[in-house]
Amino acid sequence: MFIQDYMTENPVTVAPDIMIIGAIELLGEYDFRHLPVVDGDGVLLGIVTDRDLRSACPSSIIREEDIEQGMELLRSTPVATVMSSEVIVISPDSTIDAALLLFESRGFGTLPVVDRQGRVVGIFSLKDMMVGYRRLFGLGEKGSALVCIEDSGEKQMLSSLVKALAENKILFTRLIRKEKDGPRPAMIYLRINSMNLSFVRKVIDGAGFTLYNPVIDR
Amino acid sequence: MGRSMEKQQELVVITDTFYQLHDTGGGEHPEAHARLAEISAVLSSGHFSGKIEFIKPRAATRTELMSFHPEEWLFRFEEAALAGLTYIDHPDNQISYESYSVALSAAGAGLTGIELVEQKLEKVVFCAVRPPGHHAEPTRPYGFCFFNNCVIAARYWQRAYGRSRICILDFDAHHGNGIQSACEEDPDLLYISIHEHPSFSYPGTGWENEKGSGAGKGTILNIPLPPGAGDNRFLQAMDGDLKQLLDRFKPDGIIVAAGFDGHRLDDMSGLRYSVNGYYEAGKRVGNWSRSFCSGRLVSILEGGYHPGVLGKCVEAYLGGVAEFL
Repeated sequence: MFIQDYMTENPVTVAPDIMIIGAIELLGEYDFRHLPVVDGDGVLLGIVTDRDLRSACPSSIIREEDIEQGMELLRSTPVATVMSSEVIVISPDSTIDAALLLFESRGFGTLPVVDRQGRVVGIFSLKDMMVGYRRLFGLGEKGSALVCIEDSGEKQMLSSLVKALAENKILFTRLIRKEKDGPRPAMIYLRINSMNLSFVRKVIDGAGFTLYNPVIDR
Repeated sequence: MGRSMEKQQELVVITDTFYQLHDTGGGEHPEAHARLAEISAVLSSGHFSGKIEFIKPRAATRTELMSFHPEEWLFRFEEAALAGLTYIDHPDNQISYESYSVALSAAGAGLTGIELVEQKLEKVVFCAVRPPGHHAEPTRPYGFCFFNNCVIAARYWQRAYGRSRICILDFDAHHGNGIQSACEEDPDLLYISIHEHPSFSYPGTGWENEKGSGAGKGTILNIPLPPGAGDNRFLQAMDGDLKQLLDRFKPDGIIVAAGFDGHRLDDMSGLRYSVNGYYEAGKRVGNWSRSFCSGRLVSILEGGYHPGVLGKCVEAYLGGVAEFL
């Protein structure tokens, strides 16, 4: 759930006085799109993206001598001049939920992770977020399967369900309740940690719940 | 079902009443010896009546087991059984005192089957074994499986007979994660699995994008079917990419991980195959084994838990295979 569990630690950073050409080479070498710019203590000063750097490059349709002049500029201009200084950051003890909301509202997909002193300790990307939720939901966890149960809306439903599972020694690893959402019905998702789904269905059914069978095809 | 009754096909069933000593504790555990008793009874009295021979398997040797399972697992499994534990790692994997010996004999059935096939007896060979094997990983049991019977058989075929390219075709309703782990980086071992979609099905593996890696890239084909998929989807899967892949791979032998829990009455999965679906699957398997590898085919039982249906499904599948004997 926490950023520090899924972030990429010790990301590549650059000093503000590195020239643009050096930053372009660095991005090419590592195949990523964001470079945090930090001072000597590792404190975040700004961020430079591949888009910032591309925008600084001379256009390919100008005259050759102008291109050369533009390249010279890349060799002599520090990244500090093209970086964004107003950077939205996230702290390592914040949550991946918070990151999701930021990604959603701001429309970007990477956040520098900084500690209380403002030092860069990681980078958190959309991909990291997907890994995080994948693990939270147990997707691909070997030895499990998802069971869907119709939610009657009864307040004590989750505890009654857990009680029935516990009494029958059925192991499970995730229990998620999704409320009614417009025309979409309320549902309970249960990640069962057993091959014996036949028995699991019998117990759930016997405890008075309605299994939802996702029949997609006949 | 349109089976030809004129041909005097013969069926060899490799099985042993000794398997009943693998006691899974009764109660709600579906993997019980009644499964094999039903299969033997149905095969003896139906289509194959009078044309069937029952043979006892030999036990797999330590070296044969170690083609997939490291020694540490052999020790752990044997000790757990002899110490009187009732399960290993998870209550699904119930054991009893004799479970280790029984599992040796279940793993040996495929080897006995291969030895028979290599004698060119022109018989359909079916190993009615338990415990099943396709979920078993090198050092861990999963989903009622302890030794990976199909992988051990495939490696034996490669090593003892030089049949280097082996295809394991798995139509059990569940994905065979253990078999896939063996094929992951092995260019000579092809794993094709048709199973219920991993979102809703144990063990949660077998996604379409898992295709093998390194030298084994392209030697895994997972065909997940949505819950509710019936014979049409099942047979479409068999007639599509699967056949093209077999064409390219050109197997020297085919091992079928034959699970029958995709039948519509078997509530261990949400698949809805019919008995006839298994017959049609059998015809395709028989045809491929004939056209790709001179009939070198061994089928090994995996799942299938519904009493009254399992036997009929096995009979139908073997009937389909026998048409190409």
